[in-house]
Amino acid sequence: MMDRPKVSVIVPVYNAQSHLRQCLDSIMGQTLREIEILCVDDGSTDGSAQILEEYKGCDPRLHVIMQKNIGAGAARNRGLAEASGEYLSFLDADDFFEPDMLECAYERAVSGNAQIVVFRSDQYHTEEGVLKDMPWTLRSRALAPYRPMDCRTFTDNVFKVFVGWAWDKLFEREFVVKHGLRFQEQRTSNDLLFVFLAIVLAERIETEERVLAHQRRGSSASLSNTREKSWQCFYEALKALKENLIRFGRYQELEQDYINYALHFSLWNLDTLQGEKKKELRRMLKKHWFRELGIAGKREDYFYNKKEYRQYREIVGGRLPRIISKCSRGIVD
Amino acid sequence: MAKVSVIIPVYNAERYLAECLDSITGQTLKDIEIICISDGSTDQSYDILQNYQERDSRILLIWRENRGYGYTMNEGIVRSSGEYIGIVEADDYAELNMYEELYQKAKEYDLDFVKADFYRFKRAKSGSMELACNHLSPDPSDYNKVFNPGENPETLRYIMNTWSGIYKRSFLEKYHIQHNETPGASFQDNGFWFQTFIYGKRGMIVDQPYYRNRRDNPDSSVKSKEKVYCINAEYDYIRGILLKDPALWERFRHMYWFKKYHNYMGTLWRIDEKYREEYLMRFSEELKRGIALGDLVREPFSCNAWNNIRSITEDPKKYYLTRVYPAGMNQKVFEQMQALETENRKLKEEIASIRRSKTFRLGKILLFLPGRLKRMLRRRKR
Repeated sequence: MMDRPKVSVIVPVYNAQSHLRQCLDSIMGQTLREIEILCVDDGSTDGSAQILEEYKGCDPRLHVIMQKNIGAGAARNRGLAEASGEYLSFLDADDFFEPDMLECAYERAVSGNAQIVVFRSDQYHTEEGVLKDMPWTLRSRALAPYRPMDCRTFTDNVFKVFVGWAWDKLFEREFVVKHGLRFQEQRTSNDLLFVFLAIVLAERIETEERVLAHQRRGSSASLSNTREKSWQCFYEALKALKENLIRFGRYQELEQDYINYALHFSLWNLDTLQGEKKKELRRMLKKHWFRELGIAGKREDYFYNKKEYRQYREIVGGRLPRIISKCSRGIVD
Repeated sequence: MAKVSVIIPVYNAERYLAECLDSITGQTLKDIEIICISDGSTDQSYDILQNYQERDSRILLIWRENRGYGYTMNEGIVRSSGEYIGIVEADDYAELNMYEELYQKAKEYDLDFVKADFYRFKRAKSGSMELACNHLSPDPSDYNKVFNPGENPETLRYIMNTWSGIYKRSFLEKYHIQHNETPGASFQDNGFWFQTFIYGKRGMIVDQPYYRNRRDNPDSSVKSKEKVYCINAEYDYIRGILLKDPALWERFRHMYWFKKYHNYMGTLWRIDEKYREEYLMRFSEELKRGIALGDLVREPFSCNAWNNIRSITEDPKKYYLTRVYPAGMNQKVFEQMQALETENRKLKEEIASIRRSKTFRLGKILLFLPGRLKRMLRRRKR
């Protein structure tokens, strides 16, 4: 039997038959050999289970776990519970990776004794067949040029230096277990809580500037395309984040970052949501959520991004033309 | 229990160690213990220390591999048993009545710490000494009275140093006041000093200088240019301590930034020119973040300092090109000029010594007649 794996790769699989082979090949072909691969089949109804079965036979490092369809968050937790590696990697079944992604990230982790490593990634647009940069997934300007680097050394909103998804990061398992970090068991935005808590709690964060992973966009199997059914998830994620920041005694110092991020993420959800639910989300934000997230009642200078603040004012103030809302602000001030 | 434990961290200090140890073993306060910790010295420090230890049973000597200044100081505090603790750098020394008088003050007013003014000195090869008295505060009315630093963040304006005073050991233990255990000498005294002020309830400064701080040691950490971001990491450590208690952070965050700004500014001029632009860029980002969070505010700063902060945050590139780079060039030209002058002096001395030498004089005598003859012949030809 192999010694403790250097990295446990956890992949939730849900109806991913079209890209699963490429993803698995990409993981099993990693230059870092001392890994375990935990695929959690989240009750797929397509050919995913057969593909997993087929791959299982040819690589003893691959383990398949079956569960009934309860979502990627639960699937990741299941994998997390089974993992035994030094570091954890949470990948998505429709993405693909540089062959030395794990080796490179792992080396970075070990050399800096890091609890989290974040590496650069880009987007693969399926229809056009091109790779596009995602500079905002790793804002180098906000990072400290010295070590140790924790979130307090960031010179930008702590929640905007990296993205709240897990697949472009490596997490030290001991660190995750020590703080009892878990994914939220909901359909979308289930990784935000896990990732941001880890970033806030980590004492040593390392980054890698090389692009190591490619996120597939425009594919129907992608988990983020089911947002119409789960449009409230982001709000649940934000609420849980706040509760946990309070629990860890870190809310007070991060309140301004949190509220700014909450506004940013709310607006992003509103902007990218389609159909009937868009109106409903708008109504909920205006009536309840802006207040409950702590956004309402804050002065303009509290917000780092004035454009987002104006958008917020437009939503709560109905659809007043900009010129009028500007005047009214002038009177209030 | 000794009245004062004097901790002396030693790192390759053979040149100055004897002067330092003489000044401590000779203190008029006899009831002291002296804890010398060599932090991986590779020079003759050990022989000197052992020599002193054989003659003075109050000396505790610890000799081990290098673990950094902070770790060494923490070890010294843990190993000490005195009522108060003093710190002496191995290349500095103290006047003989320092601990007697400070201990008396500390006891009389039941102080958490008492700090005194001090001298900075440079000694030329000729033996002549340049002494400058440093006042912890420019305001004479701040002296010789008990103050509560934990309630008065303004007292953080007093000059930062850890060695010009003594600290009650039970006070340090109660608040777990320690040094940051970063490698080497990385400004770990800043964090220690900060903690004594934020947790202290009874402090005093006295206007009598006892401690003599050496400024002519080329190995001294203040002049090392490579450790560019050490001060940033130390201020991260201090922020971490303040943030453990939101009320502390709230009370001290403005003065925290005041100290941080001045330390960063000092660093900007201390580091090698090739690092300055990069350092300023990071400085600018940190300042902007401090302002956005309301931690960095106008109030504690002088006009001049605030103007600097505004320029650095608004356009760090411009600040670098107009203020830092030209000053760096001036500094460079100045340094080159000084180097040339030294070189010139050396060469002149060399010439003079050659002229004084027997061979030169003998040669001159021998060549005197032939030279004369040569000149006469030349004149004749014309």
